[in-house]
Amino acid sequence: MAKKLKEVLDDAGISMDLQYGGESPEGLTEREIKKSPHPRVQKLKDIFMDTLSSANNEFPYWYTREYMMHDNEIPVVRRAKALRTAFSHLTPVIFPGELLVMRKASFFRGSFPMPWLSEGFYMAHEDDFYQEALKRGSASVDEHSKFGQGGGNVTKSFGKVISIAGKFGMRQEEVPALLKLAKMWAGKSVDDLGNKYEKMVPEYPVKEQIMRSIVCMFDSGFTLPQGREVINYYYPLEYGFDGIIKMATELKAEVAGKADGDGMVGMNRLYNYEAVIIALQGVQNWIANYSKEARRLEKLTTDKIQKKEYKEIADRLDWIEHNPPRTFIEALQMIETIHLAVLNEDAISGMSPGRIGQILYPYFEQDIEAGRITEDEVIELLELDRLVKTSIDCFASTGVVGGVLSGNTFNTVSIGGVDRFGQSAVNRLEYLILEAAVRNAMPQSTIALLYDEKIPEDFLMLAMDVIKSGAGYPAFMNSPIAQEFLMKQYGPEGMNLEDARAWAIGGCLETSPCAWKPLHLNGKEYFIPGGAGQPTSVGVHFISMPKVLELTLFNGVDPRTNEKVYEPHNRKLNSYDEVWDQFTKYWQKSVEVLAWTNNIQHDIWRKNNMAVINSLLKPDCLDNGHLINELGYRYNGTFNIESAGTITLVNSLAALKKLVFDDKVVTLAKLKEAIKDNFGFKDAREVNSFSLADQEKRDDSAGKWEELHFKTLQAPKYGNDDKYADEILLQWENFFCEDSSKYESLYGLKMYPCQISVSTHGAMGSATLATPDGRLSGTTFADASMSAYPGTDRNGPYALLNSATIWDHSKSQNSQLNIKIHPTAVRGIEGSRKLLDLTRAYMRKGGFHVQYNIVDSKVLKDAQLNPKNYRDLMVRVAGFTQYWVEIGKSVQDELISRTEYEGV
Amino acid sequence: MKNLIYKDTRNYSPIDVTKGVDLLTGKIVMADNTAPENYELRPKCKFCQNYKEENEFNGECEASMSDPKFFAYGDMDSVTCGMYKQIN
Repeated sequence: MAKKLKEVLDDAGISMDLQYGGESPEGLTEREIKKSPHPRVQKLKDIFMDTLSSANNEFPYWYTREYMMHDNEIPVVRRAKALRTAFSHLTPVIFPGELLVMRKASFFRGSFPMPWLSEGFYMAHEDDFYQEALKRGSASVDEHSKFGQGGGNVTKSFGKVISIAGKFGMRQEEVPALLKLAKMWAGKSVDDLGNKYEKMVPEYPVKEQIMRSIVCMFDSGFTLPQGREVINYYYPLEYGFDGIIKMATELKAEVAGKADGDGMVGMNRLYNYEAVIIALQGVQNWIANYSKEARRLEKLTTDKIQKKEYKEIADRLDWIEHNPPRTFIEALQMIETIHLAVLNEDAISGMSPGRIGQILYPYFEQDIEAGRITEDEVIELLELDRLVKTSIDCFASTGVVGGVLSGNTFNTVSIGGVDRFGQSAVNRLEYLILEAAVRNAMPQSTIALLYDEKIPEDFLMLAMDVIKSGAGYPAFMNSPIAQEFLMKQYGPEGMNLEDARAWAIGGCLETSPCAWKPLHLNGKEYFIPGGAGQPTSVGVHFISMPKVLELTLFNGVDPRTNEKVYEPHNRKLNSYDEVWDQFTKYWQKSVEVLAWTNNIQHDIWRKNNMAVINSLLKPDCLDNGHLINELGYRYNGTFNIESAGTITLVNSLAALKKLVFDDKVVTLAKLKEAIKDNFGFKDAREVNSFSLADQEKRDDSAGKWEELHFKTLQAPKYGNDDKYADEILLQWENFFCEDSSKYESLYGLKMYPCQISVSTHGAMGSATLATPDGRLSGTTFADASMSAYPGTDRNGPYALLNSATIWDHSKSQNSQLNIKIHPTAVRGIEGSRKLLDLTRAYMRKGGFHVQYNIVDSKVLKDAQLNPKNYRDLMVRVAGFTQYWVEIGKSVQDELISRTEYEGV
Repeated sequence: MKNLIYKDTRNYSPIDVTKGVDLLTGKIVMADNTAPENYELRPKCKFCQNYKEENEFNGECEASMSDPKFFAYGDMDSVTCGMYKQIN
């Protein structure tokens, strides 16, 4: 049997010890904190755990049918009409025991395709899908109803269910309709039109090569045109839907026929207000249909309690269809409805509710004071909210949903932070949000704690308990650092300190601009925070830094495919500085061409597919009459440049510098030869493991590269407070943060860096050869942007924190550090205190984000072998929490192999 | 109507593409299993007078305002469709 790298190194007396600070106890160690949800929630959760991701055509059918009737209409009105018809026809589904109702589609965990964004995916598979749909039908659904290792993922077709994108199940009866709808959008979708025009960019061939070689992970213009932002619930909460329609109607009369000094888009305000009214009518119809369904069920059921609950649901829906909410439960139902409405308007991942504890506090405070609700009832509702959010799926292609997102939808809730005056914003409801999150531990909503020195100690200690439950949340985000970033990026658009303090996380950890608005409830005024910026899912996403280095070393040619990606540089690369210089040139070429082509895609999106519902929610669209596409939002400079593989690049540059240029123990030519030969190992896909330690030697390698490979592995590594490697990180960050502002979004505003990996470190690693740091071909890159490469951080957690904070994190939208700790290392109150001290130390050093996986690596290994026993096991990946069974193997392998801290 | 399968009845709330809740018993049932006889028909295009079937799964909606008539698919819910007319 072929030897694994771990065994090869053991033979050589080199340990690949992935534990630091002691040894973990034998056997599997459970997490310390475990709680259960309310029985009602548990019952619904049990359903969720056995639910498949399901898709149907109802929304796209009605959208397309209406849209195609109005080819002479103003684009924004045409879109609003299509949205109204689609929302009005969504079939309501309500499940017994629910208190918060409404779903994306007519399933417990439903979604649907949007062929107006991209239809090519279905068209390319037309024959396969169609034939499969017709052929199947004899097999029994019952026989396969337990199908689907991987939680709710429908990874393969079975019975009358067709797997789409390796994730969603669609009934075979619907597949021909999907193909018919897709055909109707051929040549008209954002994808097709965008591609038609992006080809006019002279450098377009480079872009195509970049995509083919997986230097870049995806086009943001038609995959997920919105998201990674903070929604704003203010206007419906303050005015109700009728109030907004009244406002838009009055404003329509005010602006009709008037440019008001704006000869470009001043006249558009009339059409925009008209579109707002039409789209909201659709949302109202949708709510009304749910109310009718609740009343139908009220009549149908014989259970008295259930009957009463259906009636109350219907009454609540009838009220919020027109009016601002009066109570906590009405407000929660309303924001749930708005949230789903926005998610149905566009393909969105990362529509974050923001600081809902502060948004809902007025209702909570007054209901508690009046005795209308108890804290226990609030917790139950918050537990139900987690179920609703976790049931949200985002329908997109395999590469996007699987390769980038791991199926996650990033409905992140933020807690903490400061108020308008800089004082702690923590309130009693946020304690209950944490309590609900530990009782009903589910991936959504992931929680971001906006850390400030003024946050109460007992709140932070409660957060530690939640972390120790193994939920992977809350993550800690540095509020002052975020505010510094926001002031720098959005200062030119008028951001002041007060607005900067309103910030929240959009997506997994994207610092997003927000604003305060005055909410009035029973004569009392409260200032609530909410999103005020465009999506940050837009721009250049994601560029593989190790791949760009690989192309630098191989003169612009991808050695994996032998295709030319960049023009050959023909440089000798005789010094580290020359390597660095060429690397930055290829990086800049990538960003430049991707920014231009993505700008075109987004421009097509804004012309035909603009957000109407999301726009009307965001300050200051209703006031100024302009939607997202006309810079109606208060903050519009949100386009960013996302990197992936930071630490793999840093370690690779450190190894090159040390071995080739400083110590001269190997020539660059020899090192490149070793890289091409994968240091004598098999490719990770052949081994079917994506962690370095598990890689197997090829039989024909005969130890040719063994010595060199050892040296690359022992070269300086990031995460050890070793300046040799850390200064390369500093060099990169200084370059990246300044360079990003040189690129311009279609809105004419400068871009900025975003440093998250999501799941791209798995997919991108898979397309990259061995790297000079000793990482082998096809294996996963280091997670996130500040996490150490597995097994290379050998000087303890504080050394890792020092390495990570060698640069100024406020120059970037974010950074990302994940640490894996064995449960015994943080056991008890003392353990919580140590964990808080570690976190606080990082925040005080200026680190932006840290989060922990409190888990025994042996449990993860067991879960990989026996997934059926671990349906509810959750882990932290990059910036999000996800069910272990729903993430890909490459990312699982990386998680298992991360250094496990046995003490902190 | 006899021998309806669950997913063609209004007494069924779909959890996913394979199963749902029987709203009268509260039990989880398979979508393609036969429902009890007295269960109410679920409005769907295939049960509508305006639906003109063209092939196994797809057809045309005679009530559509477009020219030519817009397509429809038989299994689509018509619970919210104002033009639904149940076949006799």
